[in-house]
Amino acid sequence: MMLLYGLITGVIFGFLLQKARVIRYDKQLGALRLMDMTIVKFMFSTILVAMVGTYLLKDLGLVKLSIKPTVLGAVILGGLIFGIGWGLLGYCPGTSAGALGEGRFDAIWGILGMLVGAGLYAEVYPAMKKTVLTWGNLGKITFPQVLGLNHWVLIPFFVIGGLILFWWFEKKGL
Amino acid sequence: MEIAEKKAWSPYLAGALSGVLSILSIWIAGKYFGASTTFVRSAGMIEKIIGPERIAKMPYFIKDVPEIDWQWMFVVGIFIGSLISSITSSTFLWKGVPDMWEKRFGPNRWKRGIVAFAGGVIAMFGARLADG
Repeated sequence: MMLLYGLITGVIFGFLLQKARVIRYDKQLGALRLMDMTIVKFMFSTILVAMVGTYLLKDLGLVKLSIKPTVLGAVILGGLIFGIGWGLLGYCPGTSAGALGEGRFDAIWGILGMLVGAGLYAEVYPAMKKTVLTWGNLGKITFPQVLGLNHWVLIPFFVIGGLILFWWFEKKGL
Repeated sequence: MEIAEKKAWSPYLAGALSGVLSILSIWIAGKYFGASTTFVRSAGMIEKIIGPERIAKMPYFIKDVPEIDWQWMFVVGIFIGSLISSITSSTFLWKGVPDMWEKRFGPNRWKRGIVAFAGGVIAMFGARLADG
């Protein structure tokens, strides 16, 4: 059943990604080059809606949050490395499958590369666990917890901030 | 290209609908969206063909077991969903060199392929390091 849920969710998500044209190299590089914010509009819209809904369900006791530990060394280094790779490839792990779905077959090379990258990381994981993955480990933290505020105090700030950003994108024609 | 752009959905609308989809997924299946773990499981599945004993002992493959799970099907689904959407809207385009790339680096498919491959290796290594 889980597998079927995964497939159905993926099909709908892939459909929406393709409809919004966000799985294209030109759109992804457009965002990285600060020329076209289409994918940022998509991502932030998703995040803002999901943030409100997920916290609502959490307060109703229907879902559990999935919080990953914040390890500064790993997140900063990993983020920088990911950024270099993303800039070269022009697709991220999820969108590469979508890009291939709409016929952008250069994504195949990216998918093969990502399989090799995952295999490489598995090789060095024991060494990383002793080094980078211990640098600046802050544990499973969240904004509400760190700031000592209720999440419903913070959520409006994120939503308003997002809307201001959208307004600015539209004004600048990005 | 122009016609294809006109048929596009607003990124705000499609993004918000994806947000609703993600809420439903968390609610119904208890699953948060993700994609990169799938590449770890798949790499493990491929490596298992060559040396199953070795893979069984590797800590990373003990953590992310090389098998098909919810997320693996989710990633396959993204491919299928994009295929359905592009074919039904006539925006499917068999293309090995993106426009923006071609303008700057030329139409050579191999050049693009090599950089895409290298980018993939680097991007996935970084993504896994950051646990994203």
